[in-house]
Amino acid sequence: MMDFLRANQPVFDFFLLALGFAYSQQIVLRCGVFSLATAAFAALGAYACALLLTRVGVPAFVAIAAALAIGALAGWLVSVPLAHLRGVYQAIATLGLVEVIVSLALYAEPLTGGAVGLNSLPKLVGTPELLIAVLVVGYLVHSISGSGLGRSFDALRQDEMVAASLGISSRRNHALAFVLSGAIGGLFGGLQSLYAYSVQPTQFGFAFMVSSLTAIILGGRRSLLGPAIGAAILTLLPELARPLAEYRPMVNGVILILVVVFLPQGAGDTLFAAMRHRRARLAAAAAVKV
Amino acid sequence: MATLELVDVRRNFGGVKAVDGVSFSVTGGRITGLIGPNGSGKSTLVNLVTGVLALSSGDIRLNGQSIATATADAVARSGVARTFQNIRLLAEASVLENVMIGFHRLERSSALANLLGLPSSRRETRALRERARGLLTRFGMTAFAELAAGSLAYGHQRRVEMMRAVASAPDVLLLDEPVAGMNDVEAAELGTIFRSLSEDGMAVLLIEHNTRFVAELCHDVHVLDGGRLIAHGTPEQVMRDPAVVAAYMGAD
Repeated sequence: MMDFLRANQPVFDFFLLALGFAYSQQIVLRCGVFSLATAAFAALGAYACALLLTRVGVPAFVAIAAALAIGALAGWLVSVPLAHLRGVYQAIATLGLVEVIVSLALYAEPLTGGAVGLNSLPKLVGTPELLIAVLVVGYLVHSISGSGLGRSFDALRQDEMVAASLGISSRRNHALAFVLSGAIGGLFGGLQSLYAYSVQPTQFGFAFMVSSLTAIILGGRRSLLGPAIGAAILTLLPELARPLAEYRPMVNGVILILVVVFLPQGAGDTLFAAMRHRRARLAAAAAVKV
Repeated sequence: MATLELVDVRRNFGGVKAVDGVSFSVTGGRITGLIGPNGSGKSTLVNLVTGVLALSSGDIRLNGQSIATATADAVARSGVARTFQNIRLLAEASVLENVMIGFHRLERSSALANLLGLPSSRRETRALRERARGLLTRFGMTAFAELAAGSLAYGHQRRVEMMRAVASAPDVLLLDEPVAGMNDVEAAELGTIFRSLSEDGMAVLLIEHNTRFVAELCHDVHVLDGGRLIAHGTPEQVMRDPAVVAAYMGAD
């Protein structure tokens, strides 16, 4: 068992990074915002962290805190012009944002190193740091779920007009979701830059966006464990199915189609909802008998 | 005492005057009816009062304060609750969660306290869950608490929507055709609830097609036709008014 874990430690680390980005993606979707900006927040966090560490020489934890703050600020700035957009228009606008950030990283060569990126960064982040970050973010997501904030997010996602009729401000809550998504995305972008020795623009392109979004589609928009299930499928499956390595994109595609068709709320959310309803039906039946 | 005043409210859609100079007021402790044929502007008026649509001109005041330019969520926070013509529940959520979201106006925990899961935020959630259970008991819905709201029968869904609307004890309650599609027994049950809410001091505005239901329940009635008020008075006076009969039956 220990040998297996040791041999697969990098896979576990990738899982933790994917999970962090999945939480950044989940929080906006939960609030009913179809944002793809997690890739942009991650890129900003990664470059900010790497540059602050190597050029300015700040300590690693300051650089990572700055990555978080820059992500949060970017999230807030994005939320202002996007306040009037909904659904697929939000997706297109945030897709544009990701393209702008990736292009900046490519063309601001003196600062970002262009297509080569920033390399030979010190490796200051390992499994313990990633695990702590995931646990902290997981705790915050859990807190939100049990509070008025989570209820407001869930109401806005399901019916914005009903939410408004109960006094829930979409502007305020959408902005808050963007800030949180930016903070989490920036934090894990920063962690990734100090984990992987290097930062390149191509890391934060279309593939990154698709995989963060897929983790939530597979796992679910609401539950704490949903993103973990989604991220686990995406990172562990290729390792378990090595003989199918050639067909990896196809296997991913088939799983995605199966989940969307048969579990449209995601594997995690569907499972938890089914368990809850089963308990509720049993309780209702018991109440009727009495 | 809560009052909602409409002062010369107008709303045009292009050249169409959907609401054309409507003035009346609704006071706490009374059930005021608003009736009118299809297309007379009733739904537009509800949307104007609740801030979903902007006024072309005129003013709407709640307890003397203008709410005419407020956004829908700000109007709701100031104390105007509503139900929808087609029931709108949060279908994924349980009955209890649907009622709990109705308490939003009363929540005091800051976003930060909620985010950090501070004891104050947890206490508030626990307290609101208890209040929601109390409301379910009062409406006879305890057995359904954990069921998905979308899975209930029509009459029960309507009750959940009512509970959600009145959970935060609003000053004004707008009911947009609440008994549409219900049988007489279900309608009478809801009528009893409306009466008890108004006796608690709530100002209730009942928008209805069912004139018999309005006649039984309302203290006074306003009749809307073509965006204008054509009559007002007690239900008996209004039903005998020749202008009202003409609007409903067609002149001649």
